[in-house]
Amino acid sequence: MKALDIIKEANQSLLRNKLRSFLTILAIFIGSFVIIISTAINAGVNDFIDKQMESAGGEDYLEIMSTATSDSINSLMNGEVIKEYDKKSTNQSDLQITDEQVEKARKIDGLQSIDLMTQFQVEYFKLEGFDKKYSSMGFNLMPRGTLRMDLTAGRMPNNDDETTYEILVGQDYVKYFGFEKDEDIVGKKITLYAPETLKCSMTGNADDCTKPVELTIVGVQAPGVMAMGGARINVAAMNRITDINYAGLPNEARVSVMATAQVDPDRIDEIKDKLAEIGLTAMSIEDEIGQIKTFFDAMLTVLKIFGGIALVAASIGIINTLLMSVQERTREIGLDKALGMSNGRVFATFAIEAISLGFWGSLFGIIVSFLIGQAVNFVTHETILSSLPTFQLIIFRAVDLISITLIIMLIALLAGVLPARKASKKDPIDSLRYE
Amino acid sequence: MPENLLTVRGLHKVYGKRDSKFEALRGINLKINRGESVAIVGKSGSGKSTLMHLLALLDRPTKGEIILDGTNTSKLKQRDLNKLRNKEFGFVFQQFFMNANDTVLNNVILPLKIAGVGAKERRRRAMHALTIVGLESKAKNKASDLSGGQKQRVCIARAIVNNPAVIFADEPTGNLDSNTGAKVEETLFSLNRDKDITLIIVTHDEELAEKCNRQIRISDGRIESDEDLATEREIEAEIAAENEELRKNHKTGDMDADGLRDDATVSHVKVKEVK
Ligand SMILES: Nc1ncnc2c1ncn2[C@@H]1O[C@H](COP(=O)(O)OP(=O)(O)OP(=O)(O)O)[C@@H](O)[C@H]1O
Ligand SMILES: [Mg+2]
Repeated sequence: MKALDIIKEANQSLLRNKLRSFLTILAIFIGSFVIIISTAINAGVNDFIDKQMESAGGEDYLEIMSTATSDSINSLMNGEVIKEYDKKSTNQSDLQITDEQVEKARKIDGLQSIDLMTQFQVEYFKLEGFDKKYSSMGFNLMPRGTLRMDLTAGRMPNNDDETTYEILVGQDYVKYFGFEKDEDIVGKKITLYAPETLKCSMTGNADDCTKPVELTIVGVQAPGVMAMGGARINVAAMNRITDINYAGLPNEARVSVMATAQVDPDRIDEIKDKLAEIGLTAMSIEDEIGQIKTFFDAMLTVLKIFGGIALVAASIGIINTLLMSVQERTREIGLDKALGMSNGRVFATFAIEAISLGFWGSLFGIIVSFLIGQAVNFVTHETILSSLPTFQLIIFRAVDLISITLIIMLIALLAGVLPARKASKKDPIDSLRYE
Repeated sequence: MPENLLTVRGLHKVYGKRDSKFEALRGINLKINRGESVAIVGKSGSGKSTLMHLLALLDRPTKGEIILDGTNTSKLKQRDLNKLRNKEFGFVFQQFFMNANDTVLNNVILPLKIAGVGAKERRRRAMHALTIVGLESKAKNKASDLSGGQKQRVCIARAIVNNPAVIFADEPTGNLDSNTGAKVEETLFSLNRDKDITLIIVTHDEELAEKCNRQIRISDGRIESDEDLATEREIEAEIAAENEELRKNHKTGDMDADGLRDDATVSHVKVKEVK
């Protein structure tokens, strides 16, 4: 008997009991669907993060906070809101990065620069050619190093010169101020009005206590996760603004919990270790991506486990279906064996029937996931993800689909072993003897 | 000189174990030549079907041997037995075992499919077999749509599709009225005549048995009467001689007592001459 004959036969006998086969396949489908769709989402998210990061560069960039801060963030993540007082880890001043630490950090080999990210404030801003005052969600720092943003026009802000103030704006600015093209806003001057905090607290009138800082718009940033927050100023501008903010205040008032550093990318691990020795925890871009990916992976793994549980339940369905089938076909099996079919072939017929159930369940899983995936991709593209045109939430990769199908077929085969053995052990005479 | 096809020596079959032990066959000796038509008759429960299953290599004897075409089948592996059945035997059963939901053609094709014959060739041969039983026009019908007699003829077509040396039929007309039964009988005997296929038919039907050129009557697991009694005596004598040989060897220490053939039952066989 040829392999193709066995496969055909197996599927014909599935067709003979359409409803029963369909229900079994449905059970497998549910499991395979959940697994396929969560794998596809996982692929989509990872692909997106990778794409974003690929264009972001930043191999030489470290984000630094005190170990105490990092620890308390971790405690918070772990749900430890309240814990026993421990002078070392709870001391509020330990949360800050001290000047002493910065001095020590500067001496580390391979660390090229370190900038404290002091909290800075901008009261409002004005744009060249427009009279009104505008306020914005905020301004972020464009740190030193090779970190790049996706640009639609212009160039990245320069951090080499400590007196040139430059800014990168998001496409929101282009839209809001009615520029036709992204290029049109490049080169325009934007003036940020930074409050002198001490003076303002006394006068109470913002107009009297702000000082302008004029920046040049050098580029427009493409939409994407990195663009959240709107605009990024260079280090020189940040330093200038904080100087205004803290004018007349003692140096201790400048609270910096974060710092950024530019380092030699080849020695990044060594530098992280050295920073740890002076009580600073550093994270590279890779660490941050790793964190994001781990988070998504964990979430989707939970989904996959649910899919796996559904598959286990489905394989019990396969066993049941096939046992019934063996029972019903006792005489047929007896006849096959009387006519010379070997035990191995009988086993193979039922094993392949099981594998076919797995195959069809998984195939329907793929088809339905694909249709739903396309629909979801389309809808999210038009709505919540419209600002991220390159992002496909759900990505089907051939490797994933093939390996999931193979795994499900394997599970089905394992489920088929018991009924197939039972069938192959049947004695032809017993099964032929009586009605 | 007729060509020997089957030789059966000292065949025993014991069913069950210990308390439920039952000896269905108690020492059967016989020879069947190629081209014979043999009826196995006897009371219900006498062991006819059991004997047929052993002859057809569907089951293994507890003791004794079956020599088919010079090959001692007790030495064959299960795989070879399967192949042998598939190539040399055709089966017809009382309850027309068929896959009722499948077409007539597919039912006839089954042995060829098992043998691994190509799709085109097996179709051709199945159509030929259906023509022989006069049912070529029903090839595409569902097997369940046929009448009882037609079903049994489909089974015969299935039995001959592989050009077998022997057809084993267990009560082939048992479920049919006399008219349709006669048609089935005719088909079987014409195969015997024209194609020289050996027929071994288990039946209650004395009329059918009469049409065969030889009847073997079974009673309580022993042959009560057989037209070819001489052969049986011959085999008996053969076994006795072999045992004598073994005894001698045993005395000289060549063989231990286990090697002795159990001929006790053989000597009890009651053999009656029938004209
Ligand atoms: N699998 C089995 N286990 C135990 N006993 C069995 C088995 N098969 C047959 N027997 C017994 O062996 C004896 C012979 O059975 P067999 O089927 O050969 O009879 P038969 O001559 O074909 O009868 P019938 O004419 O009714 O078909 C019977 O007594 C039967 O009960
Ligand atoms: Mg019987």
